[in-house]
Amino acid sequence: MQENKQPKVQVRNLTKKFGDLLVLDNISFDVQAGEFLCIVGPTGCGKTTFLNSLTKLYEPTAGEILLDGQPVDLKKQNIAYIFQEYSTMPWLTVEENVGFGLDIKGVEKSKAQALVNEYLDIVGLTKYRKYYPDQLSASMLQRVVIARAFATQPDLLLMDEPYGQLDIQLRYHLEDELISLWQRTGTTVIFITHNIEEAVYLGQRILVLTNKPTSIKQAIDNDLPRPRDIASPDFVKLRNEVTDLIKWW
Amino acid sequence: MIDSTTNSRFSTKQLIVIYTIISLVGLLIVWELVARFTSASMFLPPASEVLAAFARSFVEPIGQHTMLAHVGVSLYRVAVAFIFATIIGIALGVGMGYSKLFEAIFKPIFEFIRPIPPLAWIPLSILWFGLSDTGKFFIIFLGCFCFITVNTYDGAKNVDPELIGAARMLGASEKQVFFKIVLPSSVPYIFAGLQIAVTAGWSAVVGSEMIQSNEGVGWVIIRGMSTGNTVQIMVGIVAIGIVGFALANITSALERRLCSWNAQKGM
Repeated sequence: MQENKQPKVQVRNLTKKFGDLLVLDNISFDVQAGEFLCIVGPTGCGKTTFLNSLTKLYEPTAGEILLDGQPVDLKKQNIAYIFQEYSTMPWLTVEENVGFGLDIKGVEKSKAQALVNEYLDIVGLTKYRKYYPDQLSASMLQRVVIARAFATQPDLLLMDEPYGQLDIQLRYHLEDELISLWQRTGTTVIFITHNIEEAVYLGQRILVLTNKPTSIKQAIDNDLPRPRDIASPDFVKLRNEVTDLIKWW
Repeated sequence: MIDSTTNSRFSTKQLIVIYTIISLVGLLIVWELVARFTSASMFLPPASEVLAAFARSFVEPIGQHTMLAHVGVSLYRVAVAFIFATIIGIALGVGMGYSKLFEAIFKPIFEFIRPIPPLAWIPLSILWFGLSDTGKFFIIFLGCFCFITVNTYDGAKNVDPELIGAARMLGASEKQVFFKIVLPSSVPYIFAGLQIAVTAGWSAVVGSEMIQSNEGVGWVIIRGMSTGNTVQIMVGIVAIGIVGFALANITSALERRLCSWNAQKGM
């Protein structure tokens, strides 16, 4: 990567131990503003520990994570986090759920409403704005969560296997939706998955992690043209390349 | 059999109403027959006589008041105590569910008071508050406050940690987590508690009036006992039953209104 401007995210020598167990071993990398970075690794390789350190849920044992050159502070900086569980508030309508982050951040009502309308429209839920989560399907719930995240216009969007439990067709659909949202908003995205195909389909760059203790095995630039075709020879070649890197056995 | 698939002239809903009526009418008939034609007639006045006296009690006063006023007095006592119990119960329940420190301080005291039946407090309440309404508020308060506290506490304990996590990720402060996640997600539990509490409070008012009062539905019963008037006792019982039934239905209707998001889960 060219280093002519300050990276959005700087991870420096990140290390995490639980007691004697070394989980993250001296990880360093940068993410540029507006980049879509995928992180793949074998199951149980500490991806989630990594994310939790990033969001300050865990204090790292050593090293630091800087966002725009500052240590991460969730109250000041705007990081959105999307994970596998839908985590919609069952007592709020779709509309109120999408606006929940804006409400927490104290965004002015009329501005918040405009953003909510905009993102409801983008994810195609305008018709369902008055529904409660109980009345929605899994894909709609995931869209609510995505709209809620994007509506806060985050500096950084973290996604932890958000589509892990969805069926393939739905996953393809939501992945395309995510890409178009990303292209539209220029949000910086870190997307964690164990699904290699998903990583190759989505990522501008792919970080391959090793098994525990986790470190970075290799970073691969992925400039396949979009929309990507999972059956094209270039795609398959890259996918195999990543697969070979992940095989630690 | 209630079966919506059969080619009945009635819908399931209508059938339920019909069977309810049959059941109530059946009870009255059995009661009437037993009271008229067996030796139980010595202690049990016939249904027709009780119902007639019940109807009359709305126009002819029992003691100082007609039935409506007695019910009103009792309801007022429950309402005052219930409001206090709701405020304190919710505050204590949410506090204990949310804060470990709060839980450590208040839970032992609460667990000690909880199993004591409200009626056991009556002698103390007479000594402390005399025969005034304050003593009755106190008894009724104790009768319903525990249910509200326990349910609210359960609700606050059972908040989905994912939701708290999601709110924190969005930058929520402790206060926001409390008011925007913990409290609203406890609402169905709180309502379940209020529903039990209102019925329990209604039972406690009757108990407290039976001992120290000159008005209210409990007094109607106890007065009936001291004058050997079985009909009046039964009239009081009928009134208590009807009001209790109404209270339970009103709170559950209110719950359906206010917790519609939770309707499908059938808390």
